[in-house]
Amino acid sequence: MSNTSVSNAPTQKLGRSVRPDFTILGILPFLALIGYFFFYPIAVVFNRSIRDSHSHLSLTTYKALFSGDYRAAFIGSFELAAYSMAISAVIGAAICVALVKTHGNTKRVISAVAGVLTSTGGIPLAFSFIAAFGQEGLVTKALLKIFHWDIYAGAFDIYNFWGILLVYCFFQAPLMVIIFTPAVENLKVEWQEANETLGGTRLQYFRNVTIPVLFPAFLSSCLLLFASGFSAYATAAAMSNGTIPLVPLVIGNLVDGNVIAGEANQGDALAMGMIFVSIIVFALYAVVLRIARKK
Amino acid sequence: MRKQFIIGAVAAIAVALFPAVSSSPAMADDAAFATCTDLASCGGMNALIKAAQAEGSLNITTVLRNWADYGDAIDSFQAAFGIHINDDNPDGSSAYEINSIKTAPAASAPDVVDIGASHIADAMTGSKTGGSLFAPYKVATWNDIPSLWKDPAGYWFGNYAGQIVIGYDSKLKVHPTKVKDLLNPAFKKVVGIAGDPTGAQEALMTVFTASVANGGSLDNVQKGADFFHQLKTIGNLSGANADSTHIATGNPKVWFDWSFNALGTQQAGAQIGKTFYYVKPSDAGILGTPYIFGISATAPHPAAARLWVEFMMSENKGHLAKDLAGDEATNVANGSLDGAKLFNSLMGGQNIFTLGGAIPIEQVAMAKKKVLVPSPSSIFQSNPAADKLTLQQPSVAQQAAATTLLKTLWPKI
Amino acid sequence: MKRGLRLGDRIILIAAGFFFITPFLAAGEYSLRGYGGKGHTWANYTWIFKQLGFGPALFTSLRIAALSVALLLVLMIPTVVYVQLGGRRWARLVEILCLLPIVIPVVSLAIGAQVAMPKALQSTSYELCFFYVIVAMPYVYRALDIGLQSIPLQTLVEASQSLGASWFTTLRRVILPAIASAMTGALFITIALTLGEYTLASLLHFRTFPTWVTNVSQENILGAVALSVATLVGAWLILLILAFIPKFKRNRKGVLAHG
Repeated sequence: MSNTSVSNAPTQKLGRSVRPDFTILGILPFLALIGYFFFYPIAVVFNRSIRDSHSHLSLTTYKALFSGDYRAAFIGSFELAAYSMAISAVIGAAICVALVKTHGNTKRVISAVAGVLTSTGGIPLAFSFIAAFGQEGLVTKALLKIFHWDIYAGAFDIYNFWGILLVYCFFQAPLMVIIFTPAVENLKVEWQEANETLGGTRLQYFRNVTIPVLFPAFLSSCLLLFASGFSAYATAAAMSNGTIPLVPLVIGNLVDGNVIAGEANQGDALAMGMIFVSIIVFALYAVVLRIARKK
Repeated sequence: MRKQFIIGAVAAIAVALFPAVSSSPAMADDAAFATCTDLASCGGMNALIKAAQAEGSLNITTVLRNWADYGDAIDSFQAAFGIHINDDNPDGSSAYEINSIKTAPAASAPDVVDIGASHIADAMTGSKTGGSLFAPYKVATWNDIPSLWKDPAGYWFGNYAGQIVIGYDSKLKVHPTKVKDLLNPAFKKVVGIAGDPTGAQEALMTVFTASVANGGSLDNVQKGADFFHQLKTIGNLSGANADSTHIATGNPKVWFDWSFNALGTQQAGAQIGKTFYYVKPSDAGILGTPYIFGISATAPHPAAARLWVEFMMSENKGHLAKDLAGDEATNVANGSLDGAKLFNSLMGGQNIFTLGGAIPIEQVAMAKKKVLVPSPSSIFQSNPAADKLTLQQPSVAQQAAATTLLKTLWPKI
Repeated sequence: MKRGLRLGDRIILIAAGFFFITPFLAAGEYSLRGYGGKGHTWANYTWIFKQLGFGPALFTSLRIAALSVALLLVLMIPTVVYVQLGGRRWARLVEILCLLPIVIPVVSLAIGAQVAMPKALQSTSYELCFFYVIVAMPYVYRALDIGLQSIPLQTLVEASQSLGASWFTTLRRVILPAIASAMTGALFITIALTLGEYTLASLLHFRTFPTWVTNVSQENILGAVALSVATLVGAWLILLILAFIPKFKRNRKGVLAHG
């Protein structure tokens, strides 16, 4: 940890440095862990994805990605991730703003609660929503009894796309709260007061101070929300029976299913496809960030 | 109590009258049990039981207790022989079972797997050398297994199959009796299927059922997919998986199910005060491809594994766990009770499957020998038209063709 | 001096509160139902404790959670601090690497792990700790990153060092308190995640609390629901206790200072 920027600076300013860059040592433990426990299993997955059923190198699995069978799944996953990201980001940010104004105890409780909410997933979460909003759910029955409003008479259904979206927002919004709160806390009250003394309106403050300061953090939080919604597996599996096509579920059918055998390589290619889609999104994020920072 | 006294008396007399059956050359080495290919080469039932008890436990995987009454089978086996059964990931998949044989550490590696028929090919070529993951073993009742559903060399064999039936909430105003009834607007949003046909065996067989019911065939399930497309268009198809939890919470209210899941679902319904009825559809009688047993070639408990499949493929009519005194295991271990006699006194797995609503693979032979217990008729609502149907069963090839077709069709449902 | 909550903020918090608590209330009501759907009773909860393996499974999950959190904090805090100070050129790389685990569906990671990990490692539940670190990494990195960017890190570190503090002291007494809220957020996500994670644990053959719950409640729907609710409430309780520990510590220090 002695490689501070001060000691390196002279060497770099001299132009070409003969010494190898030892700064990487600082992240070596990190690289080692993520290398062995993430990249090594993923390398296994990748290796199987570029082989056919006889273990010969082949790109048939990747060709199949474009065949159209999986298009519906990718679109479905993308839509679910995008919608849940948008809705949860707004709701989460609103909660953040309200939250930073609370005091110690309330804030601590809400923080703990948010942590649990965002990690709730799979069957417990699905069941809770069904128990509340399902055909015979508590809320459904209450609405029927009190307001004589049968929410199931219309198009509403906890099991269609919008119902699953509701469930996704449940664990995405708290995630936004957790991730985004430190940035909102950074908006100093003094700036708001300065703005007022200078005669600026709240809208001006919002446009000229709040948005530029918060935008990078907001964007990076959105990215995380998108990625999390895109790859959510347990909750999707618990809520849907496959009539809504989603990529993680298709992967599950291929690598951990009861019907299709010997096509795990296709499932692996789909997982690689998800990485590819996400890399495109990351690239977009980097570009937008650069533009925003320049301004 | 009286029953137990009689059993005890019979056992005592048997022991007294017949010299203790000492098995032929005792298989002292447990490793020998990893390669013996039938009861005789394993040294006989008593030697097998002795070795299995010495091993002490059995690893099975992805077995649900209320699936084809496996719960009774597990309880019987444990109580009778004192061998503890470890069930890894009860809600797992066939792919998980195959992967477990390949990659799991010995403590969690399965001894015996119960997989879907579409995974046979994968298992037979899945070992590191490209050979079978299974060890060949021909159970005592081998000849009663239809040749279509067993490997000639003994590597795998079918155990039970189920018929696709329709379950529904008794409170519904309209009671369905055939597949086409599900198009009734009374069932808006509540018609359920047990998953994705490319991922769940039950859902795949449901599509076969829908296909036949709508004039299609087992060779081409297009009409089945069309039926579900129609269900979705008119708003009847539910997005909820047709499993006990969802059914119990009220959606779906009408669903397709394996005949051997009926009892378990009715039980779940009773827990929350609901009554579920089941009926065999009168426009399609589809028997699913059977599930398949395979003994792992690298089984950590090879003797227990072989005893288990002998038990599950046994045709005996006899006792379940609740009828046992509780001391049978120790008595067998110390020699005061003949293991083979105990084995023969137990209800065999094939009959336990029948009690669960499944159709055991040895059904035809058992019916001829008159050893088949009556299947629980109280599960199903009366539907004479359905009983007249001859059951059709897809072949592995037809199943594969349907899967390929549905990979393209199902996302467009 | 912070401004108080305005009406709009109160409405948002209350409305959000309603939305988030309703599903749990509904599940809770369900879990209290008696057999046959008649009446309400605590029977389903007492059933939990009578089940074989409750203690060992719970302890296993708690142990794994504690170790995962420890490993995560020990690994990530120095890494993120380093990346923001001297290792700036690695910032983008670390950021992208940390985001990747969230993009892969857990099932694919598990399938790869089944093949890649040596059997010796697969036999111990400590294997799960490492994977939970990987799974929680994206969230934790983002929280720490945003938290550290919100403070004048360079200035604080230089000030601390000019006063003669070692790196370790700087970390402990300057940086950590400054990013307390980010750190607690990260910690809470990790604990809640490891206590409720099912897919990895079941695919890697482990008997943690969530997998044990599924196993033992096969034939008991009401029991299964009670277990789910109990797991969630339990996680909340644990986090609430952890949330208030710093407060207790501070109170004690205050007494000592004045004493």
